[in-house]
Amino acid sequence: MIPLDQVLVQIVNGLVNGMILALVASGLTLIFGIMDIVNFAHGDLFMLGAYVGTTAFLTTGNFWIALLASVLTMALLGAVLQATALRPLLGRDPLTTILATFGLSLIIQNYALWQYGPVPRKINEPITGHFQLFYVEYPWYRLLIAVMSAAIIGGLYLFMKYGKHGIWIRATTQDRVMAAAMGIPVPWVHTVVFAIGAGMAAASGVLFGPTVGINHAMGFDFTLRAFVVVVVGGMGNLGGSILASIFISLLESLAAIWVSPAQAVIVSFVALILTLLIRPTGLFVPTPK
Amino acid sequence: MRERWQDEAWAQNFWWRGQTTRRKFLGLSAAAAGALGGAMLVPAPWREAFGQAKPYKIGVLQPLTGAAAAGGKTALVGTQLAADRINKAGGINGRPLELVIADYESKPDVGRRKAEKLVVEDKVDIGEGGYLSNVCLACMPVFEEQKTVFMIGVCLDTTITTTNCSRYVFRPFDYAPSQAVAFAPYIVSKMAKKWHVVYLDYAWGQSTRDAYVAEIKKSGGEVTGTTGIPLGTADMTAFISKITGNFDGLFAIMFGANAVTFTTQAYDLGLLKKARYAGDGAVAESTHLAALGQKVEGFVGVNRYIPILTKPLDTPYHKKFFEESKVLLKKMDPSGPDPDRYVQSNFEAMNFLKLGIQKSGFRGREDTMKLIEALEGMEVKEGDDFPQGDKTLRKEDHQAFLRQFIFDIHERKHRLLDVVAKEKTIVPPACTFPKA
Repeated sequence: MIPLDQVLVQIVNGLVNGMILALVASGLTLIFGIMDIVNFAHGDLFMLGAYVGTTAFLTTGNFWIALLASVLTMALLGAVLQATALRPLLGRDPLTTILATFGLSLIIQNYALWQYGPVPRKINEPITGHFQLFYVEYPWYRLLIAVMSAAIIGGLYLFMKYGKHGIWIRATTQDRVMAAAMGIPVPWVHTVVFAIGAGMAAASGVLFGPTVGINHAMGFDFTLRAFVVVVVGGMGNLGGSILASIFISLLESLAAIWVSPAQAVIVSFVALILTLLIRPTGLFVPTPK
Repeated sequence: MRERWQDEAWAQNFWWRGQTTRRKFLGLSAAAAGALGGAMLVPAPWREAFGQAKPYKIGVLQPLTGAAAAGGKTALVGTQLAADRINKAGGINGRPLELVIADYESKPDVGRRKAEKLVVEDKVDIGEGGYLSNVCLACMPVFEEQKTVFMIGVCLDTTITTTNCSRYVFRPFDYAPSQAVAFAPYIVSKMAKKWHVVYLDYAWGQSTRDAYVAEIKKSGGEVTGTTGIPLGTADMTAFISKITGNFDGLFAIMFGANAVTFTTQAYDLGLLKKARYAGDGAVAESTHLAALGQKVEGFVGVNRYIPILTKPLDTPYHKKFFEESKVLLKKMDPSGPDPDRYVQSNFEAMNFLKLGIQKSGFRGREDTMKLIEALEGMEVKEGDDFPQGDKTLRKEDHQAFLRQFIFDIHERKHRLLDVVAKEKTIVPPACTFPKA
């Protein structure tokens, strides 16, 4: 019989991890939804965002300023990357953009290694302290990450739903040609979306930074998991990716009660394969009527 | 919207129209070729001093990119420092050392391929380096097939000098069974009786776990559980929150960013308040102490090298090594970390090679067996070449024995608690060399 406290701890873990993953995956799915670009460099934008956060944190000593500075810097970098490396490839074979983003991933990783050196970096959390969650002391900061992730995703949702530029983005997602015909500057929408995606990756990097040693290879683990989530949630479907993040993280956390967490990861890959076999459009995409 | 993206107005303006002319392209290409040619014509730094003397080519294998890049780059500093010193002092037998550096990207398959390239295409005389144990294990057969000495600079997997030992491979620093013999009695008698062991789930972590589990039991302690965490796991909370049970000591076998992540998250989840924290010295290497912050305070570890300048490491040779390493490390990382065991063991590995080459009169790979015989059983004394201390490179398994430092982290610095003499770290050999 599995003790109830262990199940509840794993559920809390799953929800918190799911929200962190959702923040990473939402940027990835947004970029795919509008540009049909599978961005292999997304995890590296997450990593570089964390590094930029450490620089800003060392300069200002304030976590929140570091978060804002990193988001803005990475959004700007994202815009530049899209305009110079990806915009010229628009409309070409998807394999070309995959290779381009893979190349960007290698460039960003090696740039981080060259610029920041190989020694792991640290950014201090803005709040310390724990609360007792059954047999573990759970840090308040992890809950803050989940809340912040939810707030950022919520802000993105409101922007997409009610903002003028959000409506442009949705229109471009639905029909690029028609959006252009209606006077929406489609190339600039693409650039802005990539910038938003990069900014969200940076936000997740800075938020997650205090819990790890920031290093140039930290993005890989997240890229892999975010791709699983994006496929299970439905490529390009923002809401689906968020639900899939929570679903996959909960599945892994609960599976970790019975097997090693290293083996529990298999569950998410099983979910990925089943999704591709049974419902390739994604588990959380409404069935077309 | 047009059918082809190239026909779009923005693409025409931004990318193609008149931006890159053939003349400009040819001009840039010529400039690049000129710069490259110029760089190739500049002689290697040792050329001026050594004239036409044929250099000893040392093939250096390190992970300079990928997950283990941090350690690989640090390790390379030790190799370069030793090579610089040797060349400045006139080389070996009047011949300079030339390093042929290969980055194996933290991947065993790439490591094996690069090892083959070094030995077959670059025709290096000797191999040096390593770092990741699974890569060392993957590369060892290459050196054996090509009858070339491989002087390991870091890899700690026990089997390298036991069940997988090779006549062509030497490990001039410690390994887990020695460390465990030195450290287990201390942690059981002075810290806790019941231990939970957390390890990185690959060759080094697994063999080190086995060594400590055995020695903790021999010392009268108990191991209540073990947890393996895959290399490079970004979020370890799922593993840490599963560590429960009746134990009062937590023993970690981690290195690099993995160690920072584990320590940070174990602290955050309150695990380090419940139990005393000890482990392999790699958990708290000087290169990542800043990233660990106050969360590693009180950690007790064992290491072959710690960056302190007090007794018994207050020697002039250690100070010289420490200061010269710092200069090179500052170039590698702007934060300017202190040297760690990876710098030390690669530095000393190169100096073992120097002594071996001098003693055997090694000229090239045709003299490999003479070099092996010279290195086997070699005893070295603490000095400029071996600032860590005396060493014995045992003939039976090519495993070195050296003193160990037990330390804790106090006010974010290493503090020496005890020194275990090299004689007390000796364990019986468990190697039968394959017949040539």
